[in-house]
Amino acid sequence: MPPKNNKGGAKAKELSEAKQENDNSRPQTVFERAQAAYDLTRPPYDKEREELGGLHALSTVEKTAYANWFCTGSDELSCLSKKAQKELWKQVNETNRPLRRGQIDQPKPDQWGKDKLGRNIGDYTVPQYEQRIEKQAQLTGLKALGRSFASKRLYASKGLVDSSTGERYILTEEDIQAERERRKEMAALKKDLYGEKMGSYSTDPEWDDIVPIPQMEPEGALAAIAYPEDYAESMSYLRAVMAANEYSPRCLKLTEHIISMNPAHYTVWLYRFANIQHLDIPLLDEIEWLNGVALDFLKNYQIWHHRQLLVEHYYPTISGSPDEVKRFAKSERAFVMEMFAEDAKNYHVWSYRQFLTRKLGMWENEEHGELDSIEGMIDEDVRNNSAWSHRFFLVFSNPRYATPESHATEPDAGVPADVVDREVAYAQAKIQLAPQNQSPWNYLRGVLVKGGRELGSVKGFVEQYVQNLGEAEKEEVHSSHALEQLADIYEEAGDKEKADLCWKRLGEKWDRIRFGYWEWKRRSMKTAAASS
Amino acid sequence: MAQLQDLPDELQLATAAHVQYIQSLDSRKDEYEYWLTEHLRLNGVYWGLTALHLLKKPEALPRDATIDFVLSCQHENGGFGAAPGHDAHMLYTVSAVQILALIDAFDELEKRGKGKAAVGKFIADLQNRETGTFAGDEWGEEDTRFLYGAFNALSLMGLLHLVDVDKAVDHIKACSNFDGGYGLTPGAESHSGQIFTCLAALSIVGRMESVEADKLGKWLSERQLPNGGLNGRPEKQEDVCYSWWVLSSLAMIDRTHWIDRNALFGFILRCQDTEKGGISDRPGNMVDVWHTLFGLTGLSLLGYPGLDDIDPVYCLPKSTTERILGSRN
Repeated sequence: MPPKNNKGGAKAKELSEAKQENDNSRPQTVFERAQAAYDLTRPPYDKEREELGGLHALSTVEKTAYANWFCTGSDELSCLSKKAQKELWKQVNETNRPLRRGQIDQPKPDQWGKDKLGRNIGDYTVPQYEQRIEKQAQLTGLKALGRSFASKRLYASKGLVDSSTGERYILTEEDIQAERERRKEMAALKKDLYGEKMGSYSTDPEWDDIVPIPQMEPEGALAAIAYPEDYAESMSYLRAVMAANEYSPRCLKLTEHIISMNPAHYTVWLYRFANIQHLDIPLLDEIEWLNGVALDFLKNYQIWHHRQLLVEHYYPTISGSPDEVKRFAKSERAFVMEMFAEDAKNYHVWSYRQFLTRKLGMWENEEHGELDSIEGMIDEDVRNNSAWSHRFFLVFSNPRYATPESHATEPDAGVPADVVDREVAYAQAKIQLAPQNQSPWNYLRGVLVKGGRELGSVKGFVEQYVQNLGEAEKEEVHSSHALEQLADIYEEAGDKEKADLCWKRLGEKWDRIRFGYWEWKRRSMKTAAASS
Repeated sequence: MAQLQDLPDELQLATAAHVQYIQSLDSRKDEYEYWLTEHLRLNGVYWGLTALHLLKKPEALPRDATIDFVLSCQHENGGFGAAPGHDAHMLYTVSAVQILALIDAFDELEKRGKGKAAVGKFIADLQNRETGTFAGDEWGEEDTRFLYGAFNALSLMGLLHLVDVDKAVDHIKACSNFDGGYGLTPGAESHSGQIFTCLAALSIVGRMESVEADKLGKWLSERQLPNGGLNGRPEKQEDVCYSWWVLSSLAMIDRTHWIDRNALFGFILRCQDTEKGGISDRPGNMVDVWHTLFGLTGLSLLGYPGLDDIDPVYCLPKSTTERILGSRN
């Protein structure tokens, strides 16, 4: 049951009565007010004539008065005799016609136009309308101030002297800041009044000299491009400054803005790099900004290409000082590791790390700790194939001993035996942690090839993962990769029967999805045996 | 291969829905993603159009408007940008050439564009004559994708003689890895996408002799996971796009039978949106045109009924490459 509230009810009634009274006695809307004013300035004959539908409805007296009034609107008055004039004024006095200047047109409900929402302004209440007029006045005032700013800027640029003070015109930072604030106000007013949108560049006096170039496309083109407004505005300014080959701090800021909206836009990155070169922006400033962008957009690769260009550009300035190179290598790796905390297999970041290793010569562990860093990553996730791949690169491309141009797939006599021993032991230790992990098995094979060693040299190690092969119940295989490698070891040693058994069991039980591959292996060995 | 009507429901391809999905891409201009992918626009047209050809609906995108758009992306230097007003770049130039090849419009390039010769010069100028590699643009980023793109586009236009093929082949050899695969640059981790670009480039110039097919095929076949899908690198998740990179590579060395075809069929078809069309990276995810194309090319390589044959080297319908290059087998 609703609560009784007599007091509230009575109050509401009072209010609605007051409103009604108001409605009847005073004009509410702009149109009503204009209509009331029009009514006030109309002679009663006119009003009556309009209301009755024509002059024929007037009485004789009214008609006389009307005719006399009508004549006062013309030059014919001077043609009248003195007597007639006297009579006229008597009539005028009798009709008590209200005085008015000129002719007021009868207001039309739609003469004020529509506002940004399509509402008829004539239907505005008077206070609403006054508010609108107030805003329009404000806008006009701001525009006037803006014009004087523009003149001052022009005079200042031409070095003119202010005749009232005798001093040169100078545009100060405060002037610009004031204009910036003013434009913001103007933009807000325009949006409020007319629904016009002014973008952040068209309201910034710093960009006044630029005429933006909007995207031009044929009507109805396939794959035409539609932009949200902010992005479209920024791009139109970008086109303009690029066309003018401008390189400046504001262009740098513009690229920053666009990249924050769409980091995959490769043209913006190229232009940004050109700005960096022209303005000689310090490397670390750019790197600091870039770090934030890289963490915001993990999948983007333009960022890493940009970083590579930066390092190429700046390396000559630090290459003479090993300490500086070392410091830079350390800080770059710290950031790369921050990226890997988000995605430890990010291909672009790994490619950059290799570039960095080569460019900065981070080969020696004692000096740069790169091998330690990779070991740390493999310890964290022994299945990280990217880390394994980087380790192979790091160990077998070291220019101290590796033969230049030696491919990853061929033996390299330059690699010392102790390095090969160390890497074999390393891979084996990691296989023990997770025998079904592909990465260290591939790595082990790769190391043996590099070291020019036979697969059979690790037979004892591999065999421990396979027991009682082919003996139904007793068969134990702890790693299909071990079984595969064992087959290759048997094949290498010419023990075809044992190799065939391994492949057979792989296809039947231990790696069924590649049945086709194992069968092919078996067939091709038999074919080779038959033809030899 | 089984007849279409014999396949169980879950192995049916939603052809009509896919055609509709690709057609709808161009009318989604009010969507946020649309402008974020502007830098891929020309690629997007290539992906969509190739998919439509495989679905045997080549007329589903208007030919004249396609030509107009492609030519509007061309620069004075002959190269193409991703969209009008974007810098010229190798990747978009290749897409432009592929699109024009697909719709048999090289004559329009001569009549209304800057002509084949200018495109060929743009690409050839991006080769580093010392190392044989190719850059993507004047800024010099180099990787095997660009090398493949260059060979692809130049051979379609009959202009391979403009570049130093031997040096480029040497570079590809240097990108081979200890595990049998190829990486982005010498020493970079093996990646199925990069393997595709290296093999296809070698295949275009008939220099497959350096490929260790068995070792590479083994690595590629190891990309199949128990759910039937393929991954791009060891210990990574499966993704429909590798149905193309891995499978086309296996096709180039004649070893597609080393993986379980039915299991891969099932995986790709489970990634379809059967109502609104399109194929996603994994079952249940959002579809996109890129995965749609590579799901379809994967199915085509496996011989799914009702699809046009894809050329594993060019990623164009076989009918297109045969028209331009003749039969290569």
